[in-house]
Amino acid sequence: MALQHRRKYCYFKENGITEIDYKDVKLLRRFINDQGKIMPRRVTGTSAKMHRKVVRAIRRARSIALIPYIDSGME
Amino acid sequence: MRFYETLYIVNPNFESDKLMGCQKEIETELGKTKSKIINHRIWSKKRLAYPIDKQKYGTYILLQFEGGDLGKMVDFDTWMKLNNQVLRHMTTALNSEPEVYVEEEQKEKVKSVSEPSDDLPAGENDSESSKEEGLKEAEDEITEEIEQEDKVLEEKEEK
Repeated sequence: MALQHRRKYCYFKENGITEIDYKDVKLLRRFINDQGKIMPRRVTGTSAKMHRKVVRAIRRARSIALIPYIDSGME
Repeated sequence: MRFYETLYIVNPNFESDKLMGCQKEIETELGKTKSKIINHRIWSKKRLAYPIDKQKYGTYILLQFEGGDLGKMVDFDTWMKLNNQVLRHMTTALNSEPEVYVEEEQKEKVKSVSEPSDDLPAGENDSESSKEEGLKEAEDEITEEIEQEDKVLEEKEEK
């Protein structure tokens, strides 16, 4: 039995988002795992252009304590 | 001129008077750079992702302004760093002119439109866009609330 392949897509292209705000924690949480690491774009399916913006926003949010640098993932 | 945004964290135990004083101090300091302040408001009180200066919570204050003398912005940055009231701050450039924040309008919007919750991770439900999902979820929540209210009313009538 062949496993069903789930098609990956760019979340931002699909929703027409062009700019990412570092204060939008709810959105950024989609792109970090439970350890707080930034997920690679081969996993999320984000376009290269938007992935760069996501990374910048996550790093800004981390520095102002909106998102953890490291999360134990136990909470 | 470019537009900038400074988000800074203040001790959460400050009373409203002290907070206002802190905000005014920062405004006067920023005034030295000849910047025009557009918005200066308390964004929210949040739990910090990691403790800063042994504080677990912090009051986030958002300051949006039109850039003035950029040479003096360095002084402002160092002043903010040395300010003991500010736990942490960050200045970023904005792509467009920020809208002037009006408190009353925001409150009305929150009351009239219940925000759709959209917590599903990426990659789920290929066919539907997440906006539609959010709207459906919000509708479901409302219907559930109405059903619960109906049940309570029925129980009261029986009694």
